Amino acid sequence: MSIQAGSLEQDLEDGPSSTPGAQAQEGRPAIMAELYEAITQRGLSLVDLAWEQQRLHESRRWSVMEMLAAVDFERLGEADRHLVWNAGRAELTTKPGADRLERLADAECRRWQEKDPTVAAIMQACGTWSRYWNEEEAHHETAFNRLSTVMRLEPITDATFIEFRKVFPDDDMLRTLTLLAISEVVAAVDYGQCSQRVEDPGLRALFKQVAADEIQHMNYFIAFAKALVDSGGYQAKEAFAVAHLFLRDGGEVHGSKRERVESRDTHVNWWDQLEHRDGFEVPESLRKKEQLIFHALKRITGITVTSRESVEDTWMDLVGC
Amino acid sequence: MPDAQELESYIRQKFAENVGLSVAELFSDDLTLAALITRSERMTNSVDLMEAFARTSNGLRKEYGLRVRLPALSLDTPVSKVLEVFMAEVSNPGRQSA
Repeated sequence: MSIQAGSLEQDLEDGPSSTPGAQAQEGRPAIMAELYEAITQRGLSLVDLAWEQQRLHESRRWSVMEMLAAVDFERLGEADRHLVWNAGRAELTTKPGADRLERLADAECRRWQEKDPTVAAIMQACGTWSRYWNEEEAHHETAFNRLSTVMRLEPITDATFIEFRKVFPDDDMLRTLTLLAISEVVAAVDYGQCSQRVEDPGLRALFKQVAADEIQHMNYFIAFAKALVDSGGYQAKEAFAVAHLFLRDGGEVHGSKRERVESRDTHVNWWDQLEHRDGFEVPESLRKKEQLIFHALKRITGITVTSRESVEDTWMDLVGC
Repeated sequence: MPDAQELESYIRQKFAENVGLSVAELFSDDLTLAALITRSERMTNSVDLMEAFARTSNGLRKEYGLRVRLPALSLDTPVSKVLEVFMAEVSNPGRQSA
């Protein structure tokens, strides 16, 4: 899907939005792609930003129950069922991600408040948006897991459910946002692939809808990450470090297909948990994922890269010695 | 071209400096990378570790003109193995053209 920026620019030119009838003057709901500039140059408040987030969220809402009602279970083959089962398990890890983002963003907001109120506002806008991210991801999790239940696929035990809800350890906020943006890239490409492989129109529509949501989330993470870099409070090298972590030889972008997946007791990375069963194709499209990661880096840092090697070289140059 | 002993000494020193531990602490106990992250006040996770490798590699490039690219290493890798990997890389003639 395409996200356009700028509806609020028109609104501000037209005057305050609190006047009766202002809603009619508002443009298409959009992600604030130039967040730092919007706060520092155009004086947008957190109330203004929350309104824009709400408008976009409302404009994109969909019903899990309606979407599932359109799936013809009789048409789903073993390969389709495997895709659904993997997606349901993977989506369990998003709630702890969103919970953590909300807590980390608020803590970072308090830390920056005296030092740089603009960075504090960016953090608070990010934490505020996490409620929509959390709610939208709840749609994904429950849609796929309900399908798995109805189709009597291997049940997710409560122990697994609780294991997959482990909250990620905290990290630098720019690294966190870049990791989340890349995670959304990988998810969106995978779901896009799934939508092309399944034959049932109802299941295809579900995968397409979820992929579109993930692209929207990616764009939000990129916008917040870019704002942090624009503020001067965070260094571009952190975004490149995370991209390199994914793209290097044996990197995270290969998920559970890696020769060696790190054993962790702190949290669960969804991409480490996808199961590849004999005879079933699994989504990959590494080239497409790479291209989207390069594009994300360009948008976050302004630096152009066109290969995995140039990501590593740029990161090493930025790191210095 | 520096001899192997000089290079090894440089790598030990530079890596210890970048992780924020003493050479003795790091190599005498042959810490694993996971233990290193836990012990170092400067490190949060494996991204910090990657950066320490990168800084060490950049130092080798600046001081000796040697280009080292490191593979992903698991967190249970001991630092002696890291040192081995670095030494194998700098001993590779193909790498000595930074």
